[in-house]
Formats: sequence, structure tokens, C-alpha cells
Amino acid sequence: MGFTLKVEGASTIELGTTSITSVKFKTDIPADSNARSTDMGSTVEITGKILTAVDGDPFDSTRQLGLWSLVPAEKSDCYRNVSIEVIAASQVVRKYSYPNAFVVDYKEDYGDAEGIGTFTLMIKQKKDKMAQVAVEGGYSV
Amino acid sequence: MGLRMKIEGSESISLMETSITGVRFGSDIPHDSNARSTDLGSTVLVEGKILAAVGGETADDTSKIAKWSLVPAENSDCYRSAEITVISASQIVRQITIPNAFVVGYEEDFSDETGIGTFRLLMKQKKDKMRALKFEGGFGSE
Repeated sequence: MGFTLKVEGASTIELGTTSITSVKFKTDIPADSNARSTDMGSTVEITGKILTAVDGDPFDSTRQLGLWSLVPAEKSDCYRNVSIEVIAASQVVRKYSYPNAFVVDYKEDYGDAEGIGTFTLMIKQKKDKMAQVAVEGGYSV
Repeated sequence: MGLRMKIEGSESISLMETSITGVRFGSDIPHDSNARSTDLGSTVLVEGKILAAVGGETADDTSKIAKWSLVPAENSDCYRSAEITVISASQIVRQITIPNAFVVGYEEDFSDETGIGTFRLLMKQKKDKMRALKFEGGFGSE
């Protein structure tokens, strides 16, 4: 399975199938509610590789993700439009769209034994804009 | 990947790729917020080896980190500027500059079986100075 990530805001961040290793989609609903709760949230966790550019290739956009995680809440740029695609056998299995996504966690890991670093990005949709989250899929690329 | 760390304060601490084994950059944002939080922090974990000096060379700077971790909060020297560099294939993948870093955790491990000790340094940027943190990379080196 391949994953692509696109973040649109002040600048566009694009990461392709060579970088992203996994995507986790989660709906946050209180587990202790007696009836359907209105307190609903959505979280996506994306993990991937931080690749080094060789032979003069351009660098990957992982640094832009790190910079996005540092944008203060006072700036409107902290909310960005995110779309994630899960592609397998020329089919788009899922396409998630988060028009007002913000970062709740960003981690980077480096070791002296590996040739690449890894990152983990956790994003949420702004809770009052939950209706705008779209989950599509089941069509060819 | 080569990892380097430089800390500038009342004294200069420098550790090269021969010492450092791992770096973890993390952002501390409350996970339960409904919208973007203003409570933003940043933590960096650095792990490495404590090497014994042989052949009359000078000892590594790890003892200076231990001393830094003991500087009391009343002393302005407890905030130092730290720069962490990740180098791979002659490229600087990341250069993270934490201008007002303070120590929140420092551990050293020694045992009679290993020839080297290990250290674990956990640093944070002073929370009101988060905007001064620099997150650079993606350029050539050397």
C-alpha cells in the first residue's frame, strides 16, 4: 500500500509513497457515553522516513512539517488543509480530507546506526469544524 | 547518520558523531485540545556514549553536561544555547537550534561489563521563548 500526504497552507507540503510508512485514522468519541455523544473528534497519525537528498535532488518536505508543528495558535497558518490518500493496486482505497487540521504532536528520531531518520505526525481536525471532514475512496487513481 | 551537539554558555560543550548515538526531537502539545493550543513546548532527547580518553588525549565533554544539569535555576547559566546537527551523505538533514535550553533530565549509566558509559540528556526550550527555536536543514555541508 502506498500513502500520499498533502498539506496546503502558507506553503504546500507533499510527501509521497517513498516517505510515508503508515497512516492511522482514529475517531475520538467518549467511550463512557450513554447515548450518541456530540463530543466527537478525529485524529490521524502519520509515520514516515526522513530521507537525505543525494545527487543534488531536492530535500523532502519533512522539515516543513516540523516548522508547521511550531506555528503558534495566534497565527491562522496553524490550521491547514490536509488530504491523505491510501493507494493500492491503482485504486484509491481511502481519501481523507481535513480542511482545518492542526498539529497535536510531532516527533523526529535519529540514530547513529540507521541511514534515515523517522518522523511521527499527529493531527486533529478543529473540533467545531468536524462536519467538514471527508472520507472518500473506492475509485481508481 | 552522524549526530553532533554543541552547547554554548559559560563554557562550550561539543560532542561529535563518535559520542552521540541517538537524537529525538519532540513537540509537547496537549493531545486533548479541541483546537490549536497556545501551550506549546519542545523537548529534545540526546543519547550517547561516555568515552574514556586514551593516549593522553583530553577527556570528552560529557562531565560538563553533568555539571550543567546541576546549575541551580537562580543562576542564569542554567539556560544555554544548544545546537544539534544531523548529517548524512555530506548533507545537513537537520540543524535544530534551541537558544534557551535547560536540562530536565540527565542520566549516566556505567557497568563493569561495558567499556563505555552511556548518558541521556533531556532538554527543553524555555516555554516563553518558543518562537526563538530554529528548525533548519536541507542544505549541503563540508
